[in-house]
Amino acid sequence: MNVNDIIASHHQFANWDEAQEYYLDQGLTDGLPIVLPTPRKVQAMLDHMGLAPDAIIGTETIRRKSFTAEKLAINAVMAGCKPEYFPAVVTAIAAACERPFNFHASSTSTNGITLMVMVSGPYAQEIGMNAGVELMGNGTRANATIGRAVNLVKTNFYGSVAQEMDNSTFGHAGKFSFCFAENLEVSPWPSLASAKGFGDGASTVTAFAANAPLQVSIYGDQEPETFLTQTAHAMLALGPSVSEAMVVISPEIMAYVGESGWSRQQIQEFLYEKTRRPLQEWLDWKRLDHPAKGTDPQEPRSCFADPGRITVVPGGGMAGAFIDIITSWGSSRSVTREIQTRF
Amino acid sequence: MPDQESIVTLDPRDESDPGQAVVATRPATLNGKIIGLFSNNKPHSEILLRMIADVIKERYDISGVVEHNKGGHQWPAQPSDLTALAQQCDVAIHATAE
Repeated sequence: MNVNDIIASHHQFANWDEAQEYYLDQGLTDGLPIVLPTPRKVQAMLDHMGLAPDAIIGTETIRRKSFTAEKLAINAVMAGCKPEYFPAVVTAIAAACERPFNFHASSTSTNGITLMVMVSGPYAQEIGMNAGVELMGNGTRANATIGRAVNLVKTNFYGSVAQEMDNSTFGHAGKFSFCFAENLEVSPWPSLASAKGFGDGASTVTAFAANAPLQVSIYGDQEPETFLTQTAHAMLALGPSVSEAMVVISPEIMAYVGESGWSRQQIQEFLYEKTRRPLQEWLDWKRLDHPAKGTDPQEPRSCFADPGRITVVPGGGMAGAFIDIITSWGSSRSVTREIQTRF
Repeated sequence: MPDQESIVTLDPRDESDPGQAVVATRPATLNGKIIGLFSNNKPHSEILLRMIADVIKERYDISGVVEHNKGGHQWPAQPSDLTALAQQCDVAIHATAE
């Protein structure tokens, strides 16, 4: 394959400034300048994975959009990705195209969610992803540009443009980029990839339709019941119909989890049970319009349909007793796929 | 340093041909027709649709109204819903209202 195989329209400019202004003026960026997607850079991205320009990575069935490798590569270059980051971008888009993710509705809702990317397994370390200090913030190229790339694909290719198809009431900073890795160094458990059945040594991407994170400060003793009760209390504010939550536990708290011997599943079940409240209570707080016919007002209902809707991930810097709660949008379900680095 | 020479870049947008959407044939009049009201389950969509049906009834001599609810606004209508609606009415109105 060579640059002559590329199908996308070519644009010619007199110089770098003129090109940069074109992409900004056309609304083809997230408001920030981009790396100019030259044919040579895009080809390097495709070559890294052995992908043909017209290879279909995924198809979204409502707008009937088929995402091609070439267009993903162009947006990945624009975001500033290195070629070795491209497998994460490709896998995230493929995952988001699966029906449970509900790509279309989650890209248009007033709720203002972002396509968040969480990477589990050795691939994250191989490409220099950050799972520690400031893992969800700024400062790490891999995290910043993978998260930016998938959101540029969403706007430029899919058409979910802010103030046009995307009418988020508030939006949030994660719509520029929201990508991080699981911190396996501080985890007493197998990786999330392994826990989801992808086998030892596998690396995965989880695509998650994410609201802005809610950070819970942890106080008191070191028993899981204490810090998870505080987390559950924060979850109650989210109401009784949260599709999913990703709960990111800082290393300081993970040390207590390790000492206690608690499993991921125990944490999921504890949070599920602790957020159960009588239906009447949700009604009193106006978090439900009306109960279903024939239901007992004293019947308990959790924030979540079942404990499996809660994903627990170790992550963050060594200092700080915090737990982050990231909830997903409406009816969207997260989708996890194994990363394939070569085709 | 930025390249001051001529520069060639690629377009990140979807450039595939979306094809032509086909609009259903409109009847010449609503007189004698059965009107379908298709709610997306938003809190006030059924109320809005019934208000629209009342206006239509004032203007046309329709032969009936059937109501359908697709059960949730976050997902597209199931083909079975659309088929049922097509079998029961001559024209259908879809609406959303918070």
